[in-house]
Amino acid sequence: MSANFLIGLREGLEAAMIVVLLLAYLARTGRRHLVPRIWAGVGLAVAVSIGFGALLTFGPRGLTFQAQEAIGGSLSIAAVALVTWMVFWMARTSRTLGSDLRGRIDKVADGAAWGLVAAAALAVGREGLETALFLWAAAQSAGQSSSPLLGAILGLAAATGLGYLLHRGALRVNLAKFFTWTGAALIVVAGGVLAYGIHDLQEAGLLPGLQSLAFDVTAAVPPSSWYGTLLKGTLNFSPATTWLEASAWILYVVPVVGLYLYSYRRSLRRTPGETAVPSVSAAA
Amino acid sequence: MTALRTSPRRFPARLGIAATAALLPFTLAACTDNAAPAASTDAAAITVSSTNGACAISATEAPSGNLTFAIKNDGDRVTEFYLLAEDGLRILAEVENIGPGITRNLVATVPAGKYLTACKPGMEGDGLRAAFTVTGSNQSVTVDDDVQKLTDTAAAQYTAYVKDQTEQLLAGTRSFAEAFATGDSTSARGLYASTRMHWERIEPVAESFGDLDPKLDLREADLESGEAWTGWHRAEKDLFAPAGYTAMTSAERAALSTQLVADTEDLYQRTRTLTLTADKLGNGAKELLDEVATGKVTGEEEIWSHTDLWDFQANVDGARIAFESLSPALEKKDPALAVELETKFSALQTELTTHARGEQFALYNELTPEQVRTLAALVDTLGEPLSRLTAAVVL
Repeated sequence: MSANFLIGLREGLEAAMIVVLLLAYLARTGRRHLVPRIWAGVGLAVAVSIGFGALLTFGPRGLTFQAQEAIGGSLSIAAVALVTWMVFWMARTSRTLGSDLRGRIDKVADGAAWGLVAAAALAVGREGLETALFLWAAAQSAGQSSSPLLGAILGLAAATGLGYLLHRGALRVNLAKFFTWTGAALIVVAGGVLAYGIHDLQEAGLLPGLQSLAFDVTAAVPPSSWYGTLLKGTLNFSPATTWLEASAWILYVVPVVGLYLYSYRRSLRRTPGETAVPSVSAAA
Repeated sequence: MTALRTSPRRFPARLGIAATAALLPFTLAACTDNAAPAASTDAAAITVSSTNGACAISATEAPSGNLTFAIKNDGDRVTEFYLLAEDGLRILAEVENIGPGITRNLVATVPAGKYLTACKPGMEGDGLRAAFTVTGSNQSVTVDDDVQKLTDTAAAQYTAYVKDQTEQLLAGTRSFAEAFATGDSTSARGLYASTRMHWERIEPVAESFGDLDPKLDLREADLESGEAWTGWHRAEKDLFAPAGYTAMTSAERAALSTQLVADTEDLYQRTRTLTLTADKLGNGAKELLDEVATGKVTGEEEIWSHTDLWDFQANVDGARIAFESLSPALEKKDPALAVELETKFSALQTELTTHARGEQFALYNELTPEQVRTLAALVDTLGEPLSRLTAAVVL
């Protein structure tokens, strides 16, 4: 029961993190009318995943392991590209907050809104297939015992609850800090998603170096523990990380955070009275 | 990220197209037939029960083709199941997130070969591993009884040959060790190469007992730092000492001799229960020839005694006996290959015989570079058809 609960929690958090940050961002910039688009993206991803999962579970044909990993890996990397673009879009438009330029920006925002749908869909969809397959397997075992399915669903519900709390918390942060914080958090999360995608492609044999580990702290952070689950679910932290994963993470997060802060500050300079305090914790 | 310059309006659409394009190839080659559900009595469905301390698998071998593993987690920790290549590194297929009480299926199309299965309760470490063999599927190929009989006979013959060579090796080693330990270097030098031939004839079999090979046949060049150097080549250096070499004390010689005999007795004991199969004969023959190509032709094997040609002859003997044991079966399955191998073995043997001196051979440092090249070329031309022997007989 508890182990299935943790799987549901981890998979749910992996999907929720980016969605929560995007929602918070829209709410804070007074673009609540775009929120339905996020949900549209989420709904689309959930529907496709569950349908596809059912097809693979009950249909006549399955998917090879390599293909499954390749899809997960490619979607993760595509999600990272989209989220990165969203972050910079935020940085560029943040300086016009509360100004009479809002209307003009929203025209751009509407164009970018489809980007929001895609970002939300990819953030959820990249893990959706594996989660759906797991849920269907739990459902199939419900004949013998309903506790696996119950545990998994409770886990997903808990992830949703945590996501909601995070969303509420994000709304309480003061405005100037909020942008720095949200952007940096999104980049760190996206870095984790990128590393995760790289690992999937390594498992599929499309990228080399699956066996050469940069570090292995499984003894200190067992993947089945609650804190291992939370680290994996929020930051995609993997206790046994390959060199390729670690390099991708560093090569992505460090320059992108730097570029983001630079671009954000430049936009602030034109808005007197607000200074950003960059607080980027390097979680490795 | 150069894409940042693109206008926000266009970028996501392009990205979507790119992502879709990237995924297209997978959708084409990515499908695999779902086998019948594990509940049916389908022979291809293998059940695995993963608990916290065990990975119970209902079969350790299966015919090649679509394999279905139904993995049930009977423990209380999340588990994963892997099908790994024989090296334990490459993942052929895996299924993650098998929560307690959940059964998940893994379907994989697997060619014949040796693999490892692994359950990973708690999702950490190397997992509980076990060997898994995928045999050539009999569904499409009906093995001719006649050929099957012939390969069985071949395997039995070669097994007997290996046992016989091991007996001779043990007897020879005892004589050599006694001469070496008592300081009778002249006798030991005379026995060295001829005794080693018994070892070289069956080297792939001896190597299959991984721990014995380095104990008995390690060359100084391959010595790891801090590793104890024992076996034939340690004695060789003392008997055919290079300039500036400090001779072993008689106590050291006695210790080395005792060890040499003990390890050879160990090899002898292990070969008593040996049962070889036809594929091992074919692969062993190829390995023997590779030994010749990599070690003997270069003169690296017997760097002080220069008795490489004895080893050369012995490796060729071993390969030839394996081939001849398989010949009756091969003539039924691929007569052209049988003729080709026969011709090329003869050509190599003829050339090798020109260097024979009665029961002895010329020392390797007496050969001209031209003669070495001729031998190497003959070994190479034999190697190629020999590498096709196993497949021709077994498949």
